[in-house]
Amino acid sequence: MFDATLLNIVLFLPLLGAGLLLVSPAAHDDFTRRLTLVLMTLQFALTAWLYLRFDSTTAGLQFATRLPWIETWGVHYHVGLDGFNILLVMLTAFLGPLVTAGAFGAITKDVKLFYAMVLLIQFAMMGTFLAQDLFLFYVFWETMLIPMFLMIGIWGGERRIYATLKFVLYTAFGSILMLAALIYLVWTLQATTGIVSFDFAELMKLRLPFDVQRWLLAAFALSFAIKVPMAPLHTWLPDAHVEAPTAGSVILAGVLLKMGTYGFMKLGFPLFPDATQAFTPVLMTLAVVSIVYGACLALVQDDIKKIIAYSSISHLGYVMLGLLSLELVGIQGAVIQMVSHGLVAAGLFLMVGMIYERCHSRELAAYGGLAKLLPVYSVFFMILTLASVGLPTTSGFTGEFLVLLGAFKAAWVQYRVGASSLPLVLAVVAVSGVVLGALYMLRFALSFLFGTTKAPHTGGHALSDLNLREKTILGLIVAAVFALGLFPDEPMRKTELAAKAYRQLVLTPRLSGGSP
Amino acid sequence: MSGQAVLMAMLPEHLLLLGLVVVILMAIAGSAARAALPVATVFVAAAALAAARLSFDGYAAAPFAGHLSVDPATLLAKALVLSLALPVLLMARDEFEGAEFPALLLSSLYGVGLMMSADSFPTLFLGLEIMSLPVYVLVLLAYQRAQSAEAALKYLVLGGTATAMFLMGVSLLYGPSGSMKFATFGNALSAADPMARAAAVLVILAFFLKAAIVPFHAWAPDAYEGASVPVTAYMAVIVKAGVLLAAVRVFGGASLSAPLLQLMVALPLLSIVWGNLAAMRQPSLRRMIAYSSIAHAGYLFYALLGAPQGRLQAVTFYLLAYGLLNLLVFAALPAAADDRQRDRLDNLKGLFHRSPFAALMIGIAMLSLAGIPPFPGFVAKFMIFRNVIAAGYTTYAVLGLVGSYLGIYFYLRVIQFMFMSPDAAVQAAPPRRLALGASLACLAATLWLSLLPGWLISRL
Repeated sequence: MFDATLLNIVLFLPLLGAGLLLVSPAAHDDFTRRLTLVLMTLQFALTAWLYLRFDSTTAGLQFATRLPWIETWGVHYHVGLDGFNILLVMLTAFLGPLVTAGAFGAITKDVKLFYAMVLLIQFAMMGTFLAQDLFLFYVFWETMLIPMFLMIGIWGGERRIYATLKFVLYTAFGSILMLAALIYLVWTLQATTGIVSFDFAELMKLRLPFDVQRWLLAAFALSFAIKVPMAPLHTWLPDAHVEAPTAGSVILAGVLLKMGTYGFMKLGFPLFPDATQAFTPVLMTLAVVSIVYGACLALVQDDIKKIIAYSSISHLGYVMLGLLSLELVGIQGAVIQMVSHGLVAAGLFLMVGMIYERCHSRELAAYGGLAKLLPVYSVFFMILTLASVGLPTTSGFTGEFLVLLGAFKAAWVQYRVGASSLPLVLAVVAVSGVVLGALYMLRFALSFLFGTTKAPHTGGHALSDLNLREKTILGLIVAAVFALGLFPDEPMRKTELAAKAYRQLVLTPRLSGGSP
Repeated sequence: MSGQAVLMAMLPEHLLLLGLVVVILMAIAGSAARAALPVATVFVAAAALAAARLSFDGYAAAPFAGHLSVDPATLLAKALVLSLALPVLLMARDEFEGAEFPALLLSSLYGVGLMMSADSFPTLFLGLEIMSLPVYVLVLLAYQRAQSAEAALKYLVLGGTATAMFLMGVSLLYGPSGSMKFATFGNALSAADPMARAAAVLVILAFFLKAAIVPFHAWAPDAYEGASVPVTAYMAVIVKAGVLLAAVRVFGGASLSAPLLQLMVALPLLSIVWGNLAAMRQPSLRRMIAYSSIAHAGYLFYALLGAPQGRLQAVTFYLLAYGLLNLLVFAALPAAADDRQRDRLDNLKGLFHRSPFAALMIGIAMLSLAGIPPFPGFVAKFMIFRNVIAAGYTTYAVLGLVGSYLGIYFYLRVIQFMFMSPDAAVQAAPPRRLALGASLACLAATLWLSLLPGWLISRL
């Protein structure tokens, strides 16, 4: 009971902060920054406490709260932690204070509104992960759009209006079809079983004809795939990343993109197992295309933010591959990969932001030999680069390795029984993504950190290395990257039962009438 | 018909009438200049409270059986619609003096009340005309631009056309059946007889014209733009509410079937799409709201596709949410040098830096009108499309939802202007106290509906 209350506090703390900031006309900028940081740190501390208390030997929800919200429709305020969301909740809470602190120097315009938006988006993201009721999930899912829209649109770069409208219009299109599917799904539950509920658990029991499953999966998948983003629905991402302020990019890459993969894992695939099975070859192909295509595009970018943006597409392709492999290692690898990418991409975007604040350029060609100018910066950058490439002992290795292991395991079985050789081909191609990943990240690091010494537009000042605030932020991220790389056992234990449950749900046919 | 039932069932209307008499007497006594508006506000509030009280007591009566009846659900809807008139009155303080505005408004509200309890076509006709005639005058009242006269005339002529179509339809219904009850319309909906079908179509088209459904929408942007802000708000919110709630009563328990079903889907869908598309390019806020209200009328008529028992609930909730948000926009709209400038969307540029609260309120209203959760516009839309899907019209629901997607852009454009554009060179005008009060009341109601929509839904 105590822990359940704590979980609600974790969820609502940022909303409270945002409300306070919006209605207090007199709050000073420095006060605003500090208040946000304190709230975010408190949220992380509480989340960490819950993480430690989380019992990895019980399946299902823990610390749950379930209250009626719109009773006549069977909508509940239902939140809780389970193996699916615990690591992502932890990641969100961990990045919160870092994003806040990271923006201290960069945001000087409309500071109060900015931090109110940071807090609001934190609230909405937490809510999306914690929600166990489809209506609530959708509400949080859509709520995320608003603060992000403002964040890119107000504090973004030159083409910010274009980028932010593209972002919202892309995501909203997916959501609107998901809404139709959601209403249909809940209505079918009511019509066939008489249960009026939006509970995930109830919906997972629903049997649907294949035809219906196919359409509903298509609607949900469209919405999630836009968010991931999977090729060919990814074109909003580079624009949004490039134009967003650093904090926006960090939130986008760190947490927001995981909404898509989380949605697939928690809802999309388990709700429609038969359609998922049937569509696996298509989705898997798209995942592998994302891996390779994202990597190829990252290889030829001149804008440093774009390199990381395209690398995100590639890295999230692995997550999809792992989820679709339906092998325990692959699924667990996908979860680790989500967290790992959240840490590494967030770290890299923060570092890009730090150099941008100093030199005001995102052109790769404008930089060179930073290792001599900024030694501390360069060490951190190199570590994160290697983590992104997947160097053993870093979190990137754990994630990618497990995903590929899972993909090969599943593919080999299929190949041996003669069912299909496509998965094997795809797995082999996916491995080439690792090589490409090393190629584009090392090319990036090479011309960025080494070579002729170049540093643009410092405005006459000597280029200063990282200050204490920046060192602390990056130090924490790097520590987390190594922790996840060296000791993945504990987090994997927390997610193991959920991964098994996911596998079970997707592998058990739930057809009614009709046949595939 | 017992005397007590006549008194009680029409208590809200009686209070409005009493208010009207008082206002007229004050005008005769020459004391109406400042006091008429507060008096009218008090009477409207009393009428709304009376309706709410009767509703919570579970009061139901049919004082004129077959012509007029009330039940708790109707009374609650009436209470909500009447309370939506309160912000309009508060806003009017800055625009109108004297007894004309309050008198016309009270009489128009009387018509709305009558329409919402009508059971037969004569009563409905009375209500419709009592509601509409004062509005033709209101559009022209204290007009500030030359187009106002043109707008009022256009509105009058098209309103007259709607009335004519309505009467023609009703007489065609009356001819063969000899009855003026709404049930004849329900029968005509499923009849194969061409005359009955023609009658039903005429009545439906009259409703479409009154609610500004494409292709009968052309009067709305002009009338909205020509009228002053409170009158625009009144037309967009309360007149539309009256028409839609009357439509729900006329359709009663009838389900739709082909070929009229196609009519009931095609034109509202067209409205949604065209309203949302045309709104994108409007330079005037009121024209934009007009097109937005054309689209919203489309969603509202969609509600009639649902099962009969859920219609009133969905329409009432939608009207409440939509009405609150429109009123919020109009009440929070910053004052400017003149009416024309106040109406320009460009005037909103950089509003967040001039008056952050106004910008936040208009922003919330825009997001909600766009149907983005957690604001009440989403729950309202959800309820309508839920009913449509439950009635088995999944394809139509998907089309409607995709149409609503088209609207997101122009609502966001307003937010973009307010938050992301450099300041327009506009002199900040002092905030008007009553309008501020009205906007805060609307905001409070909006937030309450966002957080606890279930409370109201379970009572509707």
